Amino acid sequence: MNLSALPALRLVAALIAVAASGAAFGQAKCGLNTGKAAAGEPIMIGAVVGKTGPDDFSASAQAAAAYFKCVNANGGINGRPVEYIVADDQWNPETAAQVASKLVKDRKVVVLAGNTSFVECGANAKMYADEGVMVIAGTGVPRECFFAKNYVPINSGPRISATIAAMYAAKTYQSKRMVCIIPNIPSLGNWGCEGAKAWGKANGVEVETIAIDPGSADATSTMLQAAAKKPDTIIMHMPKGLLVPMMAAAEQQGMGKKIHFVSSAPAYNADVPKAIGPYWNKNFAVNLEFNPLSAAGPDNKNWQAVLDQFGAKSDPRDTFSQAGYVAARLVTETLLKMDPKKIDRASVSDALRKVSDFRSDILCKPFYVGSGNRHNANNSGPMAIVDGNGFANVPGGCVTADDPELVDVRADELKLGLK
Amino acid sequence: MDELLPFLISGLGVGAVYAMSGVGLVVLYRSSGVLNFAFGALGAIGAYVAWSLLEHDWPQALAWAAAVLTSVLLSLAYGRWLAPKLAPRDPTIRSIGTLGFALVVLGFTEWTWGEQPRRLVLPTDSLAFEFALAGGDVRLTYTRALGLLLALLMMAAVALLLSRTRVGLKMRALANDRDLSALLGIRVLQVDTVAWLLSGAFAGVCGLLLANIVRLQATLLTFLVIPAFAAAIVGRLRSLPATVAGGIVIGVLEAMAIKMPGFAPFRTATPFLIALAMILMARGNERPA
Repeated sequence: MNLSALPALRLVAALIAVAASGAAFGQAKCGLNTGKAAAGEPIMIGAVVGKTGPDDFSASAQAAAAYFKCVNANGGINGRPVEYIVADDQWNPETAAQVASKLVKDRKVVVLAGNTSFVECGANAKMYADEGVMVIAGTGVPRECFFAKNYVPINSGPRISATIAAMYAAKTYQSKRMVCIIPNIPSLGNWGCEGAKAWGKANGVEVETIAIDPGSADATSTMLQAAAKKPDTIIMHMPKGLLVPMMAAAEQQGMGKKIHFVSSAPAYNADVPKAIGPYWNKNFAVNLEFNPLSAAGPDNKNWQAVLDQFGAKSDPRDTFSQAGYVAARLVTETLLKMDPKKIDRASVSDALRKVSDFRSDILCKPFYVGSGNRHNANNSGPMAIVDGNGFANVPGGCVTADDPELVDVRADELKLGLK
Repeated sequence: MDELLPFLISGLGVGAVYAMSGVGLVVLYRSSGVLNFAFGALGAIGAYVAWSLLEHDWPQALAWAAAVLTSVLLSLAYGRWLAPKLAPRDPTIRSIGTLGFALVVLGFTEWTWGEQPRRLVLPTDSLAFEFALAGGDVRLTYTRALGLLLALLMMAAVALLLSRTRVGLKMRALANDRDLSALLGIRVLQVDTVAWLLSGAFAGVCGLLLANIVRLQATLLTFLVIPAFAAAIVGRLRSLPATVAGGIVIGVLEAMAIKMPGFAPFRTATPFLIALAMILMARGNERPA
């Protein structure tokens, strides 16, 4: 090889690398994508989130805010900018009712997007239905979020997540006896594990639930109690703060060698693999409500680009954020199809209910809103396994939850001509 | 009984640390009359310091020392600067002052370290006494065994300090009558300093053990002072052996309560129930015949 050609080759290689990185971290795409700022009469969109309290649940709204900012910088909704108002319910149902009422009745929002709260579904779902306003939520947690006419969570929810984890354990480890451990929080405890239980009953797998006090200092006894039931698999179904000491107790009791451990979605968090330690390496599988955070799909890449260019550096890049981005995109694309002069609450709710084939590679399947009495359109997700200080995808891709409770959702899907 | 044995063993570890925390509370109460609500918060911040140093690859021993030192310094800071300003007030106010301090320390800890899930691993975790029981296999890690041993050792050490040393004598004098002791020439502040120092050291050690055995979470660790109070109440805020026994019994009963259908999801109430029962019993005994 002619050595004098090396510098030129290096230059070409460098240029290719720059071009490739430009493609990977491409310009954020959103709305009309015109590059011109919108200046018309603003469209009011609200969100209720649990920001201050036991945990910060505002990442969905932060991602939605970044997306709407991007929309406003790119022609808005056919010339009209979005004014996005986020209210903090402080994890207090009374505050949740007050702030939602202010948004809906005083600020006259046409729709809410990116809501994520532990308390607001129970407090506000009826009011949203009475006022005819739709909520394209980011992440729903308690049962009420999945049983409301006007509340549409983008995520699959705890019950579906645990059901998929159980289905994975049965398929991968041939488990026949499982124990599902869940905190005894109203609207979450038991309900969250019952999907796995009902699926198990229909498929010859016995699933028992252990409801635990989340304030208990004694994780070891809980794990011993679970092990005493002689399961092949233990399904962990709890927030990450509670999960870590439980996994530590299981490790100290040497359970990882005898019992398989799987978890619902809260364990899919960047800090978890390191916190639970090397004992669980390749030995702890978790369900994801969306495709992996690092997935190479164009919409997933666009979510990251939108946050990089329009969000704050401190905005989390987690699954809540993915959900908020999808919610904001769904609302924006629905509004863009409407006559900008005729955007009001009734017309927006009507248009949203007609959404039947919304696509994003962040989701496993096309998403829909529809006119059903409840919403659980996202009911499939992939599994990942702890690998070093991160997660690795497991073969098989997306799994759809076979939860008998979804019978009405499946009927709605048939009506919309899906599947 | 076979079924309960594994839970009895698993409860011993937590119970031992409740016991040790109880001793830490009683030491301070017996000399200064203050119920230290900040005990858990001081232990928690120490444990977080240890976690951070271990993350930076500090040697284990240094990280532990730094944890205990943090708790001691904060305890001393309060005991020397703030507590004396409240000294003339009645014991309730002096105790509630420490609750304010606990909330400040808790707020600072949460603000600094946040809610990211963490685990404080000690080298003694990987080794364990194994029991193959009819009710199931159970392992008592060396950390928990160490907790039990430390609880007994510290109880003995404090008992010796109080009964055999000059400082101990002064502490007891102060507990009897602060004003009279001061008139007799006992340097109240000096004796108080020793008590706050000891209490801080206990908080540091208990914080490390609890962060490992229970979990490294500031709020939970701060409010684990409640079962420690329950243990101290079993000892009537005076008797060290009764406090240690109380702590261990509370830990064991809380663990065994998991086998009680209906009560199991609410077993964190165990320390409160025991404390309540002890208070009622004490009142019953005090009534004139």
